[in-house]
Amino acid sequence: MFVNSRSAQGRAARGMRAGVGIAVGAALVASLGACSSEPAESGPVTLTFQTWVPNIEPVVENFNEQHDDIQVEVEAITAGPDGGYAAMLSAVDAGNPADVAQVGYDQMASFLLRNALEDITEYVQDDVDVFSEWQLAANTFNDRIYGIPQASGPMGMFYRTDLFEQYGVAVPTTWEEYEQAARQIRAANPEAYIAVFAANQAPWIMGLAEQAGTPWFQAEGDEWAVDIANEDTLRMAEFWQRMIDEDLVKIENDLSSEWYADIQAGRVLSWMSGSWADAIIRGNAPDTAGLWGAAELPQWDAAEPRSASWGGGSSNVVLRGSDHPREAAEFALWLNSNVDSVSMLTEAGAGWPAISDVDSVPAIQDSPEVFEFFGGQDIWDVFAASNEQIALDWTWPPLTDSLYGFVTDEMRSAVESGTPLPQAFENIETRMVDEMEAAGLAVAR
Amino acid sequence: MVNATQLKVRGGSRAGSVLVTAVLIAAAAYFVLPLVWVVTATTKTTGQLFGTFGLAFGDSGQFVSNLGQLFSQGDGIYSRWLLNSLLYSGVGAAVATALAAGAGFAFAKYQFRGREAAFSVILGGVLLPATVIALPLYFMLSAVGLTGTYWAMLLPGMVSPFGVYLCRIYASASVPDEVIEAARLDGAGDIRAFTTIATRMMTPALVTVFLFQFVAIWNNYLLPLVMLNDVDTYPVTLGLTLWNGQTQRAPEFFELVVAGSAVSAVLLVIVMVSLQRFWRAGLTSGATKG
Repeated sequence: MFVNSRSAQGRAARGMRAGVGIAVGAALVASLGACSSEPAESGPVTLTFQTWVPNIEPVVENFNEQHDDIQVEVEAITAGPDGGYAAMLSAVDAGNPADVAQVGYDQMASFLLRNALEDITEYVQDDVDVFSEWQLAANTFNDRIYGIPQASGPMGMFYRTDLFEQYGVAVPTTWEEYEQAARQIRAANPEAYIAVFAANQAPWIMGLAEQAGTPWFQAEGDEWAVDIANEDTLRMAEFWQRMIDEDLVKIENDLSSEWYADIQAGRVLSWMSGSWADAIIRGNAPDTAGLWGAAELPQWDAAEPRSASWGGGSSNVVLRGSDHPREAAEFALWLNSNVDSVSMLTEAGAGWPAISDVDSVPAIQDSPEVFEFFGGQDIWDVFAASNEQIALDWTWPPLTDSLYGFVTDEMRSAVESGTPLPQAFENIETRMVDEMEAAGLAVAR
Repeated sequence: MVNATQLKVRGGSRAGSVLVTAVLIAAAAYFVLPLVWVVTATTKTTGQLFGTFGLAFGDSGQFVSNLGQLFSQGDGIYSRWLLNSLLYSGVGAAVATALAAGAGFAFAKYQFRGREAAFSVILGGVLLPATVIALPLYFMLSAVGLTGTYWAMLLPGMVSPFGVYLCRIYASASVPDEVIEAARLDGAGDIRAFTTIATRMMTPALVTVFLFQFVAIWNNYLLPLVMLNDVDTYPVTLGLTLWNGQTQRAPEFFELVVAGSAVSAVLLVIVMVSLQRFWRAGLTSGATKG
């Protein structure tokens, strides 16, 4: 499919290296004495691992202690969207990438388009059945495996139990009930809203679309089928348009100062987010400890519950050009499937584990600090259920950065200048199809 | 604003001068407010950061604890980032200034073949944004195995096309040919005339070049992003972004990012203010030449 298309940038880069690079290089080496000699291979293979997961060093150290043949060094890099991905891709183009790297599910197709990933199917295919199906699917393209899933953020609804009770509002299980709850909250306290409509947050909006049903993108052989303004997404759009029109949600960016203040003060009563968002609430609204709960997302059809993830999840991939793809794949597999390792990752804040048997993960079974903040509720039950309700058919396309831009653009213009939300999704589809075609991808609508 | 200034000069209009002052005060407030915010925010916990008025101070205990945490997190890695930033900016700016002074002086005072052609190429360099050349630089340094080393940051910082441009203009205007001639008659060679006489007269330009280059390297993000892969070699910009990326999973990093930004900004202010003295000194010493 798109795996063999080398980007123009890559070609330019190689030309640059061969020409200018060598000339300047000769002078520099002579004067500075570069130290890049390759020692003969003997003893353990040493790998480099680029990641931005906080406090991951002890987890990798644990791997090193239990392996004689492979030793891994962590290179902490800035988060992917902050430039981490750009750094990885430049290193791949220059031919000296890290062996293993942290890449979001939403970026896998983009990396493939840049020919930046090693196919690791032959090294790992017999052992990947431990991973939750949808998370493995997010790393598989045309039946080839390009990454080991690490963690994700299945969505749920965090809400203020005390204020829901005070205003006499039941926790909504369907979107109909959600609207009703929103009305009750507005009636009980004119300053309070059930939630914000976060036009700034593409992963949130795409999560709502994923949960609604029909996926936006499907890879079909050599083609990408694009269907953003589908029936289910439009139903979701109409729902939120009504919520906005009737002043049932607050128009405000989430994760903004105003939003944090509203969350602390009880003016915004709930937040639908990824499983890892408990840390955000605990860290930013410490004075509300004990007053929060978590529930599954409201459903369109209660008989057929669906869930979604916030922006997918995070994988460990082997970058194209690694000298040791087999060992790199083995490390990625062990790091993310060994139960002790997974538990350490979860404690470090990596997110919801990608293995399906989360009951075996001690950090999920027992996190007293978290449960205490949520009034004693074992909130991980909620997210375990959510994770199981995520469908396999949602596929992340290439060029997600452009897609995120289109989504926030159109959502902003919807809340600011009144473009109806269904129209906004039509616009997103048109712009994304244009963008993909301009990148030389075959697109079917 | 320009019109208002002219009004004042021509007619001594009071209204004009009030307007200018008002605009300048507004501009000053606009630029100083973020600095004030980042300093007040350093006195708060993550919870207070968003829950309280931005320009109000928290409490001094929190200020001390935030700073303590800033310098102890990750075995004091922040101090290391500060030193790296100082090294990259200081060495880069010093060498760039020396090179720019020599090149600018030569362009201004010597006739040689290809002078204008060479100068045009350098002017072209002024027009190229640093962002554009970061990746080509990366590929070049990668080909010789220097990426990830201190050289990957130092070498690109050592050239400043804008500095050469400024030094040429300034040398043309402020170093009279007669002075150089006189120095030669007194037996000074070209090098001596340049290092002992011309550079003194060019001091204000040199300080300007140094400051510009220092700040440019200090605030550079893309270059260290692609060049460096070891946290121990990071400058402050990259380190703070690394921490900022962790706030989603670990919100206590907000306090570190805010405190780190404040320290970095205040340090830069100190460098600026202390170098400004030389600036003024240079201007007056230049004035005595007539």
